[in-house]
Amino acid sequence: MGNIIEIKNVTKEFKVLNRREGLKGSIKDLFSRNYKTVRAVDNITMAIGQGEIVGYLGPNGAGKSTTIKMMTGVLEPTSGEILTNGIVPYTNRAKNAQEIGVVFGQRSQLWWALPLVESFKILKDIYQISNEKYNGMIKLYKSLVDIEPLLHKPVRQMSLGQRTLSDILAAFLHDPKIVFLDEPTIGLDVSMKSKIRKLIHALNKEKNTTVILTTHDMGDVDALCQRIVIIDKGKMLYDNDIEHLKSFFGSYRTLKIRTDGDLSAQADSIKEELPYFSVTADEEWISVLVDEEKSKVIDVLGQLQRSYKIKDMQLEEISTEEVIKKIYEEGVV
Amino acid sequence: MEKRGLKFYLRIYFKILAQDLKSKMSYRADFIISTIGMIFTNIAGFVSFWILFRSFPSINGWGYYEMLFLYGFSLVAITPVQCLFDNNWSLRMAVYSGDFIKYCFRPINIFFYYQSEVFDIKGLGQLAFGIGTLIYSWVKIGLGFTPLILLKMTVFLLTASLVMIAMQNAAAATCFWIMNSFYVLDLVTRFKDYAKYPVTIFSPVFKFIFTFLMPIAFIAYYPSLVILRPDEVPLLSWLSPFIGAFFFWVSYKIWMHGALKYNGTGS
Repeated sequence: MGNIIEIKNVTKEFKVLNRREGLKGSIKDLFSRNYKTVRAVDNITMAIGQGEIVGYLGPNGAGKSTTIKMMTGVLEPTSGEILTNGIVPYTNRAKNAQEIGVVFGQRSQLWWALPLVESFKILKDIYQISNEKYNGMIKLYKSLVDIEPLLHKPVRQMSLGQRTLSDILAAFLHDPKIVFLDEPTIGLDVSMKSKIRKLIHALNKEKNTTVILTTHDMGDVDALCQRIVIIDKGKMLYDNDIEHLKSFFGSYRTLKIRTDGDLSAQADSIKEELPYFSVTADEEWISVLVDEEKSKVIDVLGQLQRSYKIKDMQLEEISTEEVIKKIYEEGVV
Repeated sequence: MEKRGLKFYLRIYFKILAQDLKSKMSYRADFIISTIGMIFTNIAGFVSFWILFRSFPSINGWGYYEMLFLYGFSLVAITPVQCLFDNNWSLRMAVYSGDFIKYCFRPINIFFYYQSEVFDIKGLGQLAFGIGTLIYSWVKIGLGFTPLILLKMTVFLLTASLVMIAMQNAAAATCFWIMNSFYVLDLVTRFKDYAKYPVTIFSPVFKFIFTFLMPIAFIAYYPSLVILRPDEVPLLSWLSPFIGAFFFWVSYKIWMHGALKYNGTGS
């Protein structure tokens, strides 16, 4: 299994004008040549094999989109080397485009006024897909999702979920080696999310397509990715199996309790009592992330029981979401 | 795999065009209203032209039918830009909203892909109107129909179209660099209205501007001299096909330069 994407020491810098405050400042800025350099991506190295699904995670502004734009050939790295499918994407934009598919969650790339099947036919011509392959792909799609009602509907009349589904199908149509999915489940309801996850999973299995997935939805990560890469402020924080990450935080347990009264107010006072642990509250539960190397869960529970009337409790493994949150906040040692 | 040459692009263009027309026709009211609107715009333009010539029988040695010829010529010449390159008007929005990035992910020419998306059918009414005006003035002037003159006509109409397309491309492409590019595009479109007058009526400064800086004199004046005044054709008229092609090439390069340095917005 060769590497389909190789990224070596890639850095991308943008020049940004140093802006001054106020009206006087903005007039001065008109004549200013005072630029600062911002590193959107800072010395990233990774290799991705054919057929992998990689979750590419990071908070907003971490440099995810910039990395993807470099891999798709839209942006040129300031330094370092990127090879996708053995070629440099930026200097071979069109050739690279033949082997990749791209979906941006909220921006449809289909022809707005045309029914889906007509968009497919135009894509068939653009990517020069043979009849045989095209029919095979449509047959595969029909076996995976119920596309019959979508095929003759103009994209403009589709719901967000249907449009995202269509965009994903369109991205896989020319059987690309790599598909980039940028927040594919954003804004979708639960059943549509799971439909789309199943579809991506099935297409990856069937066609051995490499999938690079950026998302803020940990459900996507749990359902699809064996491997995750986390970046923040342009730097790579983590690149490994998701299981490895969980074992890294193996001593953490999530203790969930339900009490009488206002949960978020109580969560605040628990936060004061237990300063080492992160405490959050939703409508039903107060969650305390306990590191058992610091104190046992049972001790924490005992301490809480003295001050609060606990009606119900649950003990859970650390969730992916919490792992990622800890890495954003504290980094990996 | 077949090389993506002219044949490839033409086939794709007609496929998109056919689908686009089909979907446009399905909005019958919209289609009819915009067609009627276009007809009225043209009639209004013609009426104001006619009123002008009721008062001035000739402008700087140019008679009524010659001016009418110039008018029809410019109408026909701006049809291609109206029909085929109308998406330039939306470029600004696509660039600022970040939607433009989708054009960067296909293995085809970005300029082609972008422009192919819209075919403005309203331009066809203008074409019919322009051809009618042209033929009417042609007959009245008594130009005659020889193969040579028809060849000249075709070549110079194409020239004029190229200049018009070039100006619009360059103006639209400014949105890759500046925020308020609408005014640039609007300015160019307004200046195009001066294309239907002989450039000799303007002062030397404007004559220079309209010939070299904002080359609207090439949309109707210089090309039509070849037909109307075959005895006193200036060098610039003979050069205009090359100048037209050159302007188009330059504007394409500017447009593509902007498109390729496009970063998109965050998402």
